[in-house]
Amino acid sequence: MARALAALAALLSALCIASTAWAHATLVSSEPADGSVLAEPPKMVQLHFNEGVAPAVIGVIDAAGKARDVAARAVGQSVLIVLPDDLPQGTQIVSYRVVSQDGHPVAGSMVFSIGAVTGTAPPAKSGPLAILIWLARIGVYLGLFVGVGGAFFAAWIGQGLTAGSMISRGALVVGLFSAVASLGLQGLDLLNLPPAGLVTIAPWSAALATSLGPSLSIAIVAMAIALYAWADPGIGIARVLTALAITGVGLSLAASGHAATAPPQWLTRPSLFLHGVAVAYWIGALAPLAAMAHRRNDDLPRVLRQFSAIAIPLVGLLVLSGLPLSIVQLGSLSALTETSYGILLSIKLALVILLLALAVLNRFVATPAVVADYMNTRLLLRSVLSECVLVIGILAVVAGWRFTPPPRASIAPVVTPLSIHIHTDAAMFQVLVSPGRVGANDFVLQLMTGDAALLTAKEATLILSLPERGIEPMERRATLGPDDGYWHVRGVALPQPGRWRMRIEALVTDFQKVTLEDELPVQ
Amino acid sequence: MSKLAPAVILLVAIATAPASAHVTLEKRQAAVGSYYKAVFAVPHGCAGSATIKLRVQIPEGVIGIKPMPKPGWTLEMVKGKYATEYELHGSKLSEGVKEVVWSGGKLADDNFDEFVFSSYLTQSLKPDTTLYFPVVQECEQGVSRWIDVPAEGQAGHGEGSKTPAPGLKLIAKP
Repeated sequence: MARALAALAALLSALCIASTAWAHATLVSSEPADGSVLAEPPKMVQLHFNEGVAPAVIGVIDAAGKARDVAARAVGQSVLIVLPDDLPQGTQIVSYRVVSQDGHPVAGSMVFSIGAVTGTAPPAKSGPLAILIWLARIGVYLGLFVGVGGAFFAAWIGQGLTAGSMISRGALVVGLFSAVASLGLQGLDLLNLPPAGLVTIAPWSAALATSLGPSLSIAIVAMAIALYAWADPGIGIARVLTALAITGVGLSLAASGHAATAPPQWLTRPSLFLHGVAVAYWIGALAPLAAMAHRRNDDLPRVLRQFSAIAIPLVGLLVLSGLPLSIVQLGSLSALTETSYGILLSIKLALVILLLALAVLNRFVATPAVVADYMNTRLLLRSVLSECVLVIGILAVVAGWRFTPPPRASIAPVVTPLSIHIHTDAAMFQVLVSPGRVGANDFVLQLMTGDAALLTAKEATLILSLPERGIEPMERRATLGPDDGYWHVRGVALPQPGRWRMRIEALVTDFQKVTLEDELPVQ
Repeated sequence: MSKLAPAVILLVAIATAPASAHVTLEKRQAAVGSYYKAVFAVPHGCAGSATIKLRVQIPEGVIGIKPMPKPGWTLEMVKGKYATEYELHGSKLSEGVKEVVWSGGKLADDNFDEFVFSSYLTQSLKPDTTLYFPVVQECEQGVSRWIDVPAEGQAGHGEGSKTPAPGLKLIAKP
């Protein structure tokens, strides 16, 4: 009996000793460190645990959002993950699920960034894609201003004149193609796809989901209407159609772009609308006028008089609608020369001043000359052709804004922080996530009890995961703000859009914590 | 042989118990209205660091705490008021031990140890529920808080809990 008990005791103690190894593994450190920003892409990631582990599932999601295949291997207490050598700039996520010695799975995620945290600095766009995007943008402008504007001019001022119709129709066709191309290229740019990606639906639906979607859709409809108006449906119908189309030009511009999204929107959107309509009216007239001047059309004096009568208040409108937009976008006078956006605006303004000078010459020298003698068009023709060249230049410059964020954006971020309210019987947490988008985010946690009194916590921890992409929880310890009594976690990388799971653990006493969970939709 | 049978059953129970990576109670079931010897097994330190202090919170309804002194460790009992009065051996108790603290020792990460006290589970505790003893394990570097208690109405621990509080299943007095 005693021997049996002794054996049992030995067995029990052996079990106890064995159980010392039954411990969950914990990530002690990693190389590169969690949250670090590196200049050069690392060759591998090393995860160091407090004990030996076996990798089960190791996933890497790169900054472009692609899941990458990686080789992982356990060496002692570390897991080595060999990274692909073509990781894009931005934040990469390493999500791991390893099996510790007791057979329990242990999961977590760490992030590191190459160059900068995704979303903080837009990756420098260069190469053929950027040039194509720029050219397509110019094409859209040509279609809207030269095409739609030309059709409007022909119907309302020219009274059915066909002079310059080839140019307007050509511009409309170019514009329609460019608008479609613009959409596809924007999609490629958004998803970081190769040109072959255009045959798939992904880039198109991605681009349609941005503000460019409605904007280009309106543009396409406006240009199609203008093209139909050229097909001679009768002057009355043509007038209605071209009026609709030119309204579409204004709407299209007001629906998208840096300026349209700048606050205050009650000012910027209508300004942009008026600006667009006025520009279309003016630019649309240039080609027909040049054509009439070239042919020495005897109707030219009447047309010029009518055009000029509207042109002068119109120039006022252009300046008045352009001025607030510039002020809102620039933020300061020095930005005019110190930022790339400002430099583009300076170039545009210089070209516009030249254009206005030519317009004054037209109005007060060339037009009276033609009105006096309709054969005397040489000066007018030269001046209108110069205007055309300037207009092309201006449109090319304006299309370049696509690539330069306005200084306004860097002065005061317009994004309103994402606000999430979690309320249970036990507690009420108010969470502010700014900017609440892909990239580096600051979290402010306001902890309250169920009846809205301040919840005094010893510690607060933020735990984020993205189950839909297989990203395991990442833990970040919050620090208590000395002044505001809120808990802060700064610079949390949210590298991917999606419905993140957010868990907040507040340690109320040494033995009690309050845990609340909610969804965090990140765009 | 008949004396060995319970031991064999116990052995089987231990062998089939889930491999524990947590601070747990050795005996996970007890009847209300009876004495209970609580044995806390500490299988490892905090992420590799040696344990230097163990604090156990005594839940309401558990009285008559008598910790077992441990060589090399300083024992401390934090007393406080109970929510209600309990009766033990005919005397009314309105206050008693709320927390037991072992400190000053050093338990290496690759060693194992047990921390013991005896207690009385009062009749005020409900059978067929789980009673939790939150434990704070302080180490040379870092702290592990075995304090996660499932939310009301949820059986067991949520999938997310990496640090559950040791639990004791209560049964009716036979």
